Amino acid sequence: MEEELDSNFKTVGNIRTEKSVIMNVEDCNVYYGDVHALKNVNMEIGKSEVLALIGPSGCGKSTFIRCLNRLNDTIDIARVTGKISLDGKDIYSDYINTSGNMDVVLLRARVGMVFQKPNPFPKSIFENVAYGPKIHGLCKDKNDLNNLVESCLVKVGLWDEVKDRLEDSGTSLSGGQQQRLCIARAIAVQPEVILMDEPCSALDPIATERIEDLISELKQNYALVVVTHSMQQASRISQRAAYFHMGNLVEVDSSNKIFNDPSHPLTTNYISGRIG
Amino acid sequence: MNNINRADLNVTKLIERSLEKRNQKERYFRIYGISSLVIAVVFLLTFFASIISTGYQAFIKTDIELEVFLDSEVIYPNGTKTEEDLFFADYDSLIFTSLKEHLPELKNRKERRQARLILSSGASYKIQNKIIKDKSLVGQTVSFILPLDDEVDMYLKGYVDTESSENSRKITDFQIALVENLIEKDLIHRNFNTTLFVSGDSREPELAGILGALVGSFMMLTITFIISFPLAVSAAIYLEEFAKKNIWTDFLEVNINNLAAVPSIIYGLLGLAIFINFFGFPRSAPIVGGLVLSLMTFPVVIIASRAALKSVPPSIRDAALGLGASKIQTTLHHVVPLALPGMLTGSIVGMARALGESAPLIMIGMVAFVVDIPTSITEPSAALPVQVFLWSDAPERGFAEKTSAAIMALLVFLLLMNSLAIWLRNKFQIKW
Repeated sequence: MEEELDSNFKTVGNIRTEKSVIMNVEDCNVYYGDVHALKNVNMEIGKSEVLALIGPSGCGKSTFIRCLNRLNDTIDIARVTGKISLDGKDIYSDYINTSGNMDVVLLRARVGMVFQKPNPFPKSIFENVAYGPKIHGLCKDKNDLNNLVESCLVKVGLWDEVKDRLEDSGTSLSGGQQQRLCIARAIAVQPEVILMDEPCSALDPIATERIEDLISELKQNYALVVVTHSMQQASRISQRAAYFHMGNLVEVDSSNKIFNDPSHPLTTNYISGRIG
Repeated sequence: MNNINRADLNVTKLIERSLEKRNQKERYFRIYGISSLVIAVVFLLTFFASIISTGYQAFIKTDIELEVFLDSEVIYPNGTKTEEDLFFADYDSLIFTSLKEHLPELKNRKERRQARLILSSGASYKIQNKIIKDKSLVGQTVSFILPLDDEVDMYLKGYVDTESSENSRKITDFQIALVENLIEKDLIHRNFNTTLFVSGDSREPELAGILGALVGSFMMLTITFIISFPLAVSAAIYLEEFAKKNIWTDFLEVNINNLAAVPSIIYGLLGLAIFINFFGFPRSAPIVGGLVLSLMTFPVVIIASRAALKSVPPSIRDAALGLGASKIQTTLHHVVPLALPGMLTGSIVGMARALGESAPLIMIGMVAFVVDIPTSITEPSAALPVQVFLWSDAPERGFAEKTSAAIMALLVFLLLMNSLAIWLRNKFQIKW
């Protein structure tokens, strides 16, 4: 089952979303030096839905998610080809000519990210949430900023726990609290898409449940792309799911279809626990 | 199942057998570690003991207390009473007149000449300075504490072998008798040597001090820090955070590492050729010394700063970039604050090395004999390590203890800098 798929392989299932499209990925390929890490991925990402990315380790899920906010740019040897657009605008256009119509800073403000390991800044809890709005100039005064920080912390259910110690370091919180702080930090910039790279893998079941609830709430207002290793989690939280294998996007469809009646044998094997 | 159990037993035995060997290795390693530590401490203690035992007496000096009648006829021989008279007056004879009163046994010219030589040539300057400040003293009898010649000082500190032949030492039996006589009359005192801390260099050991060298070294280090820290940190940030890794940056890295190991005398030659010969900067000045030491410290600080930047976890960069912070915001808001303690420690260690350098300073002329304490960075100045070199080379016995005193000053300076490094590191350290 570890053999690579044919180079002409075409994703099975339905790459289109039922909701209105916010991001569109066409013929996306990623190379790390000579390694072809992501092969011909085509997919739509819709508003107000949770898209779960599943697959064995090293299959390209994280590589894919990091293409969506161009975080792969930080890796010197990474090269991305194809077209990824946000609201119809090519986010990689300045790759070829510098007069592109989407600055990478603007892209990352519109496409937020939460990482696998909680990574709050070693600054105060308040500063953690306020940093994004500050650098983008989203708040007109101190009061405005205070309100924004409070509302973000309320949204992630952290306000009651930290309201008396906003000046404490963000790193003094527990793992689950840190991850919620990171989500608050991401939504403080008011993005349209939130990418989550295994947001619960470092958390205990109780903290995981809180994050899952939070994801379900957030999908009202944001498009979410969540990488996860837990099939149960994916089926609980997602409306659509995509299965990656050895750099190929094997199958993408509604979660119901993927987890109950997958079309491709590789997907079937994976979700039934035979590989991965 | 049986098979597995038997295998388990075997494994336990195997581990037990290997355990003894492993523990033995650990014990040996401990012994190596402790013995090397002990050797290091012994060396260090020997070093300190030798310096302190030679140098502690430098903090004591020998003075004579004399009532000097400031005869206006001697001070103003022409009766003009000008400022100039005060500079050229024969204070030595005034002092000697006073000394003679205590030593009625002086018979002939030769004995009087020997008696004169137990006084330091600096004694008259002391009276001169006081009179220039307060002219009303002329005509009065004033009590002065005046320095004695370094040979007397050496004798009282026990460095002169009185049994040896008179020709082989600089202090004569007659002078020794005079000194003993004066001690009996309670005129000779041993005081704390403030001269050491408030004067510049001198030909006379009893008048020489380290202040000039201290000020010179301090000025140079300040210049070194101001120039090399911002430049090196910017270079390190650029190389580490912005520059694409390619053959050119590799080439630069090799060269920077190489520069850090270039012998310091070569930097001195470079400074001589560029700053003094080409740009025409003054010789022996702290500005040139500071520039040369900056060149020398520069690669060291770059290497330390790059290491500090490398140790910042990439997750912090991802977090900031993921929020839409630009590259420069990520670097300045998050990466540099985390790397700052390491950068500061590295640069202070580099500067501590620069403080102890004498070779490049000798090349740019700082080995010159400079008496005045520098008041600006373009004036000729001494430097601590060069002062140590100069004094250790001087023939007078009195400079030997001065050398050790200067070394002690250098060590204290270093200790302060390293404490500053630790303090700064703790102050800027961000708790995780």
